[in-house]
Amino acid sequence: MAKTRIVFIVLIAFVAAIVGVSYYLARSGQEITLTKPEPLEVRIVCALPVEPFVQEAARRYNAESHAIEGQPIHVTVTPMDGLVAMGRWERGEMDPLPTVWIPDSRYLVELVNATFKEQRGRDIFLTGGEYRARPVAVSLFCWGIWQSRDDVLQAKYGTEVSWTQIHDAATAKGGWPELGGEPEWGYFKLVVPNPHKNVGGLMAMVAAAGEYYQRTDISVADVTDPEFQAWLGELMGAVTDFSSLGSYSVENLALFGYSMGDGGQLLESELLVNMAGIQTRWVEPMVIRYPQYITWFDFPYTIWMGDETTALEKNAALEFERYLLSPEIQQLAIAEGLRPANTEVPIDGADSLLVRWQEQGATTVVPRATSMRSPDRDVLLAFLRWFDLNVYEK
Amino acid sequence: MTKKQKGMPRGAVTLLITLAAIMFVACAIVATVLTRMNADPEEPATQLETSRQVTLRIACSPEKAELLAELAEQFGETKPKLADKRTVVVETFSLVPDEMVAQAESGAFQAVSPDSSLWLGEIDRNWYATSGAETGLVGDTARYMISPVVIAMWQDVATELGYPGKEIGWSDILQAAEEDGLQWSHPSTDSASGLLATLAIFYVGSGQTRDLSEAMVADPDTLAYVTAVEKSVKHYGEGELAILQRVQEQGPEFLDAFVVQEQLVIRHNLTQPNKLVAIYPAEGTLWEDHPLALLESVDRSDGERQAFQMFKTFLLSRAVQEQLLTEGYRPSDLELSLDGAGSPFGAENGVDPSRPYTTMQMPSSTVIKVVKDVWLYTKRHANVYLVVDTSGSMAGNKLDDTQDALRAFVDQMQSDWDRVGLITFASDVKEVMPLTQLGEGRGELLGSIAQLEAIGNTALSDGVALAVGRLGALDDSERINAIVVMTDGRENASRTRWQTLAQEITATQNGETPVLVFCIAYGRDADYRVLQAFAEAGGGFASEGDLETIQALYETLSTYF
Repeated sequence: MAKTRIVFIVLIAFVAAIVGVSYYLARSGQEITLTKPEPLEVRIVCALPVEPFVQEAARRYNAESHAIEGQPIHVTVTPMDGLVAMGRWERGEMDPLPTVWIPDSRYLVELVNATFKEQRGRDIFLTGGEYRARPVAVSLFCWGIWQSRDDVLQAKYGTEVSWTQIHDAATAKGGWPELGGEPEWGYFKLVVPNPHKNVGGLMAMVAAAGEYYQRTDISVADVTDPEFQAWLGELMGAVTDFSSLGSYSVENLALFGYSMGDGGQLLESELLVNMAGIQTRWVEPMVIRYPQYITWFDFPYTIWMGDETTALEKNAALEFERYLLSPEIQQLAIAEGLRPANTEVPIDGADSLLVRWQEQGATTVVPRATSMRSPDRDVLLAFLRWFDLNVYEK
Repeated sequence: MTKKQKGMPRGAVTLLITLAAIMFVACAIVATVLTRMNADPEEPATQLETSRQVTLRIACSPEKAELLAELAEQFGETKPKLADKRTVVVETFSLVPDEMVAQAESGAFQAVSPDSSLWLGEIDRNWYATSGAETGLVGDTARYMISPVVIAMWQDVATELGYPGKEIGWSDILQAAEEDGLQWSHPSTDSASGLLATLAIFYVGSGQTRDLSEAMVADPDTLAYVTAVEKSVKHYGEGELAILQRVQEQGPEFLDAFVVQEQLVIRHNLTQPNKLVAIYPAEGTLWEDHPLALLESVDRSDGERQAFQMFKTFLLSRAVQEQLLTEGYRPSDLELSLDGAGSPFGAENGVDPSRPYTTMQMPSSTVIKVVKDVWLYTKRHANVYLVVDTSGSMAGNKLDDTQDALRAFVDQMQSDWDRVGLITFASDVKEVMPLTQLGEGRGELLGSIAQLEAIGNTALSDGVALAVGRLGALDDSERINAIVVMTDGRENASRTRWQTLAQEITATQNGETPVLVFCIAYGRDADYRVLQAFAEAGGGFASEGDLETIQALYETLSTYF
């Protein structure tokens, strides 16, 4: 009986302990949890053309459970066009603040940096040292034209494709029959992305200006020249749709086919990655031609150096940058039609899209040496203003 | 010595069981108390439910409402959960694109999927105008399927026009309508296919395929062309799916050709013996691109954004994309071939995946607005008699709701050049208001509707006969001549035999001024058989309505004019 009493007392004490501890914790608002180190979030805002590459790299990186100073690193990637991101940086609309920004081109970083330098008195994105912006991959503008249309243009203008010829084709009153093409093709339809949704649209206008003036450096005076504006207006008049879904132009071209666009100056990587889909969906392929002046896109990995992120977060971002530039991960970039930033990685391997689509005009070695210079802010704004006033209604 | 028993005595066992029970009850009490103490006392039960799930409401255009509802259900079957373990629920409902634009800021839905991204532009333009915001209301957007706008035509009709050897365009349709009496239709400009067809006609009228300007739209030659084309339209309609359903019910007699998206041609041909073919207009066409877009209002939560992403990913998944292909849409997954095994794209279903060869340029929003306004002037105008039952059985709620429905009908008739008259029937027939142009008589007509009283018997046939007689005497072949009849009872007071009247209506169909008849059987006592006979004779249709649906029915019928 004494044994029973002991069991009885132990049980009562146990129940009382549960009730007491639970009550105390509930009153004090504490929760019974096992402590686990919080992951360091590397938040990347990423340009659209490299987003699939960076997204896949992040997925692998997260799966491999990387850590820094005992804290796990977790990478999230948010796709955002470079120009849209620039607007958000400048309006203070980046919320939560990204740890890393990968825009389409270095000049966008310089423009945003200049704005923050005015506000904070120091660089917020670095151009030198360990935390400097480094490209994660590169690509360039080239002409993408449907094979049948390219044949007609070559017969009329020769093998070189230029903005001057495209302007001529775009303004042909009789449409394709006047150029030697088929009546059912209608008029010449130019593909240019909406500059408000895709930085490629703006860069296409800059590239057109380069060929118009036969130089690589464009000024505000060039943009505001009435003769140039009339010429550009005629060119843009050949675009079929600047709708709200204009961000992914090559995707649109692949989806709607020659019915919506005959060709345009587009990102090489996007053309390459959509080439197979174009051939599956439509009865003819597209060809790639390289322009007179090259517009490069270098997709710089830019770490935010403001006080809003900790040193550990900045170092975690640096860890992921190293991962992105590793030869194995750079192969993912090649699979997306991009040219690797790591020069040790060959681009003429069997898996290279540049090799796969050589017959369509793609080349591993860019056949031109002259590059367009990065435009300054005033030039970009002048182009956007002209576009808003003359082409696009917000 | 008695041997000591091994194990616990029976009393102790009972005591332990009792203690275990006490302990269980104590734990249950503790759990309950803790739950109550941790719950927010201000949070109602429904919000607790919300804390366990995120619901994404999507307004979608009517022609794909059924498909999207099915896909939302399939998505639910995958038990989708956010990272925080909350369940994702997607609800879809049908809404015409014009209403999506009007209600986008209401918060009634978090995402839209109209038939064309044209409407997304409208949503943003409204948003900029009302909010003064820097960024648009339309957020993340995806295309999951597309379909070009085509002219659906019965195969034998198309062959007569030269199909498949000849490229057929809008101008051929006009010629066939003028010379051979081709009966065709396109929806009003409230739906993408209607608006796109109207834009195409304006383009052809102006002799352009791009750069359509306000001046070109208002040019007298363009207006003359568009008016001539529109005069060949038999009637308009509530939308492409509804037109297709009528065509399937009534066969080739209903229409020779009509404007729809390509997918509906495939859908028809997969199930019907009479084949349609898709004519891709030679001058060019436009696409329905079926975007899915999140509306980024200030109260949009991260949970809703994630839910949107999950549903978007689901729609773009290979399995769903293959399903869309079998439904006759062109999926956005470019790896799916349109002419591969299992694809419904091909001559056997009246379509050509290599077409269209060219599209027309999408004009600016200002030009689109001018086109919509001018269309109300150039469209085929109508002479419509509203023939309304005011017998004693209509007294009370029935008459009140009918008056509301008639007002809605008049409001929906936006063109001031349309004429509407009002005839009532009870023991006698009364022409309350003769045909009056709405620009001048809209107010008077609404006043007459307000004065209606219910008393007497049901002289249904006499009422319809008066309207037929009036339209016949008018002999206005330029306009659509139509009667919209509504009754809640059975014929019991007419001198006219309904069978004779039906024959008279049929006889008008081969003349210069065919009379279209649409009928509404209001409630269970209505004589549906007689109404259907009138509707069949007049090339229209009969619908059943009640207190709940009467207004919607009248609104639907207004889209036919």
